[in-house]
Amino acid sequence: MAAVIGSEVHHLKADVAVIGGGTAGLNTAIAAAEAGADVLVVDKAHIVRSGAIAGGIDHFFAYLESGEPWDTRDAYLAYVAKVARGASNLRIHEKVFCEELTAAMARTERMGVSLRQQDGSYLRTQALGQPGPYAINFDGKFLKPKMAMEVKRKHCRILNRVQVSNLYLHQGEIAGFAGYDMRSGDFYAIEAKAVVIATGNTNRMFKTQTGNPFNLWYCPANTGDLHRAAFDVGAELANVEYVRLTIVPKGMSAPGFNAFFGMGGKLVNGLGQEFMNAYHPMGDKAPRNVMVWGALQEVRAGRGPIYVDVRHLKAADLEHLFSMLGIDKDTLPEFLRAKGYNREGTMIEMTVSEPMQARPSELCGSGIKIDETCASNISGLFAAGDASDQMGCLHMCMAGGFAAGKHAARYAAKLAHHRPLQANALEEERKRVFAPLLRNTGIAPGEFEGIVRIIATDHFGPYKSEVSLTSAIAKLDALDQYRDQLRAGNLHELMRCHEAVNIHAVAKIVAHAALARKESRFVPYHYRSDYPETSEDWCGLVVVRRDGENGVATRFERLHYDA
Amino acid sequence: MPAVIDKARCNGCELCVLYCPLDVLAMEDGVAVVRYPDECWHCGACRQDCALDAVTFEFSPVMLAI
Repeated sequence: MAAVIGSEVHHLKADVAVIGGGTAGLNTAIAAAEAGADVLVVDKAHIVRSGAIAGGIDHFFAYLESGEPWDTRDAYLAYVAKVARGASNLRIHEKVFCEELTAAMARTERMGVSLRQQDGSYLRTQALGQPGPYAINFDGKFLKPKMAMEVKRKHCRILNRVQVSNLYLHQGEIAGFAGYDMRSGDFYAIEAKAVVIATGNTNRMFKTQTGNPFNLWYCPANTGDLHRAAFDVGAELANVEYVRLTIVPKGMSAPGFNAFFGMGGKLVNGLGQEFMNAYHPMGDKAPRNVMVWGALQEVRAGRGPIYVDVRHLKAADLEHLFSMLGIDKDTLPEFLRAKGYNREGTMIEMTVSEPMQARPSELCGSGIKIDETCASNISGLFAAGDASDQMGCLHMCMAGGFAAGKHAARYAAKLAHHRPLQANALEEERKRVFAPLLRNTGIAPGEFEGIVRIIATDHFGPYKSEVSLTSAIAKLDALDQYRDQLRAGNLHELMRCHEAVNIHAVAKIVAHAALARKESRFVPYHYRSDYPETSEDWCGLVVVRRDGENGVATRFERLHYDA
Repeated sequence: MPAVIDKARCNGCELCVLYCPLDVLAMEDGVAVVRYPDECWHCGACRQDCALDAVTFEFSPVMLAI
């Protein structure tokens, strides 16, 4: 560690720099390296165990052309058009997912993670509005470490524990970024011909069921750091008005939805009645937002709490289900045991999860707006995975992350020189980044972040209206005055300070985007009480970008579907 | 309490500290400690990478009681 925190400055260069080493980012790095680029991966945690699948993953959505009518590319795209209507751009979906799918599955297996059962077959389940069983169940416990090994084999350079603090342009095009190492306190200035953002969605923005902001469905380290930084340099964002929720075990917000309902679990209310058939013809296999809506309505009507009933499943299916739960969330099976549940005789109490800033469907993303080449509106800046507006979920992050790497490498290869970073801007940033460590008094990051959570939850988590959103924006703007009073006692707290500021900034962007969409869509993910109906006029993207110092400009981009 | 490390079993290999996605763990006196238990995601990465079974999980009262 340097004698004085922040005094050690490292200057690095790369052809392609990937910010965020989760599933999408590592696939990006692999693709860019295979294309001959000199690749640098920067991760706030450690690429062996970072991002949404740090602890494991148990399903991969795919069509396999097995001969079944629902198992074709066209049937799959029809499903996307139906379930993600108004959020997924099918032209982009075809490029970043369909055209990469076969290679992504082969790559997964080549890295040493089988998508198949021991007899070589695929075990597939159906949920989430799918016309057939698209979810390949597999043991992805070691997928993340295996991808990290592949990235190392490809000779990518890796910076772990570095939080990127800002992006920089040169004459309107990407030049690089700055960041700091949360373990050593060293400062980094990185020039890159192409930058790919793959930092996931934004969590910790809303109150949680237990009151602990880290007890979350998705990774609490994903705090919109690069949503904010990209927005600040003029990148357009889309699909950010949606507030995503799911159904989780009471007491522990953990993934498991797809496993429970894919295996045939049923939601029942406090009266012991199955209720999803009243909300959707597919019942417990309805799209996720409809399941959440049904659960919310039952509780609101006084028929809570809600449970998942798996008592009717065969013993072998129950065994498979509980093993899958532990693959996706390592500690969930023992949590359920600690609660006193056993496999045979118990209904498991569930609840609607905390809201999060994320995609409204498994078939699109929420964040930096990308085109068919994963490029943003800023030359040299690309996005992949959940951080982009068109990708999300394991299948798209494996496939689309790779696409982003190919395109970023191609872009970088055309540039003879790196674009320069400005020394004075970097020096200013170095001071800004470490300033919370120098304050003797001030506000703890958790307190500031907690205020954001109260405002966001009360005003748009998830129900909202023009009045609630306008009021939220005023309150979030008024909170600006405290940003420069955040205080950190050490480097870990410094990271939390910057995360708190980023969550705050993204909350404002979310509120502005939600204000612009004067309809409801993916209810309750975007439920405007003043515009409760879904309108064909709003079948498309609300696109947001920075307007002046503190403003947010919005525009609407229509999306077209055949049916 | 989320992740709990058995000091007697920990050999100080630092893998859990290296990998924890939330930067919750740190080394103290040659063994890993859970410095920020309230920030644990319960992902189990630390336990999966521990060769000595030094990591267990304890669920907080609120998780079990509500």
